[in-house]
Amino acid sequence: MGDSQYSFSLTTFSPSGKLVQIEHALTAVGSGQTSLGIKAANGVVIATEKKLPSILVDETSVQKIQTLTPNIGVVYSGMGPDFRVLVRKSRKQAQQYYRLYKETIPVTQLVRETAAVMQEFTQSGGVRPFGVSLLIAGYDDNGPQLYQVDPSGSYFSWKASAMGKNVSNAKTFLEKRYTEDMELDDAIHTAILTLKEGYEGQISSNNIEIGVIRSDREFKVLSPAEIKDFLEEVE
Amino acid sequence: MAGAMDLPAKGGFSFDLCRRNAMLAEKGLKMPGFRKTGTTIVGLVFQDGVVLGADTRATEGPIVADKNCEKIHFMAPNIYCCGAGTAADTEAVTDMVSSQLQLHRYATGRESRVVTALTLLKSHLFSYQGHVSAALVLGGVDVTGPHLHTVYPHGSTDTLPFATMGSGSLAAMSVFESKYKEGLTREEGIQLVSDAICAGIFNDLGSGSNVDVCVITKGKTEYLRNHQLPNPRTYVSSKGYSFTKGQTEVLSTKITQLKPKVEVTESDAMEE
Repeated sequence: MGDSQYSFSLTTFSPSGKLVQIEHALTAVGSGQTSLGIKAANGVVIATEKKLPSILVDETSVQKIQTLTPNIGVVYSGMGPDFRVLVRKSRKQAQQYYRLYKETIPVTQLVRETAAVMQEFTQSGGVRPFGVSLLIAGYDDNGPQLYQVDPSGSYFSWKASAMGKNVSNAKTFLEKRYTEDMELDDAIHTAILTLKEGYEGQISSNNIEIGVIRSDREFKVLSPAEIKDFLEEVE
Repeated sequence: MAGAMDLPAKGGFSFDLCRRNAMLAEKGLKMPGFRKTGTTIVGLVFQDGVVLGADTRATEGPIVADKNCEKIHFMAPNIYCCGAGTAADTEAVTDMVSSQLQLHRYATGRESRVVTALTLLKSHLFSYQGHVSAALVLGGVDVTGPHLHTVYPHGSTDTLPFATMGSGSLAAMSVFESKYKEGLTREEGIQLVSDAICAGIFNDLGSGSNVDVCVITKGKTEYLRNHQLPNPRTYVSSKGYSFTKGQTEVLSTKITQLKPKVEVTESDAMEE
């Protein structure tokens, strides 16, 4: 792919100084299902809607929240297949880091390397940017952390963030509800309420996904039964 | 602006320097030696799973390089691997396969299987045509049951109920051949493995020091580091040694000043 005569970048500047392909990628993200993340004092929670195209789809076969390392998880808004590719690459990068330094990769390093991959695809020959924004949640020696990575490859650390269809309402809701010393269980309730705000229809334990990491540093995707308990507490 | 996808990995042994090395050897250059693990490593299958055992001596020719090294390597939470041969090779190959198994676990969402580790190891070793000097005893318990395999440097493998490798393998095997039976209990298994390793420790120069044991059963792994210490270090004197002045005859004395004298003179401060 890089060697052919026609390997020039497809992402080029417009006269106004914008990279239009990246803008379009962000539009693709913006029309994806809502996802959000909240950093609490003692952990991080990430959540997303899981709206399937038809009731005939087996919802247990779809898992939108993925584990990158035992202490880092990730969720996305945008194109699922692009997400799969990034998850695969990030997992490999984490393993390579471990092989090189015999240290489990810090959250910031993994975010940096994933963002570098996403940036590469905006400047390489014959490829298009990824149509996803990622929310990476992790817990390492620097405590709980939440990062958002965009198709351009830029990343920011957030106390709470949302992406996808309902981003502006969700962010407004989070701004009102967020407190610095929030406990993780409160954060999970807030996450559920935020998803509920923008949800078309009735949310249940089968059409949302929640991933949590506490001070035990083990990223876990909650089972439908566990989600049900939290839903009942919220109502 | 190279392509964003990685080039396919070029594996296998690179023969580029072989001609040069042969020419240098002809001219009389001695090839550098490497640390080998001498070693006695064993494994056996008992009624609930597998028990692995290893000694802890690493040798560099006739010298003991490490009196308490770890020869039982982690592959997966349910799979461990004992390594004999060149220490660097066993470390590197087990770390590499352990990393690959982790990625595979994430991709499949399942517990790793022993045959997967086995196949990854043997393919790698075969592609290096025996130049990666790693002789391994691989054991673990997965959904299909308990498994025990031996892997040879050239890439061949055996599947056995009990196995030994390393320079102490004959000493250990004699213990296994006389005492192994099917359906051993956990205590019997650990005792038999310790006996076999001790046979290696005491009868083989390349093996020594302590006994490490690892017990793997369905859902639980216990790594018993230094399960037995049959070679305790007895020190001559806890007070240490005293070398009083006068014990050594002084033949001549020469004193050289190392610190030259520094002169401080008053002068103007540097201009800004």
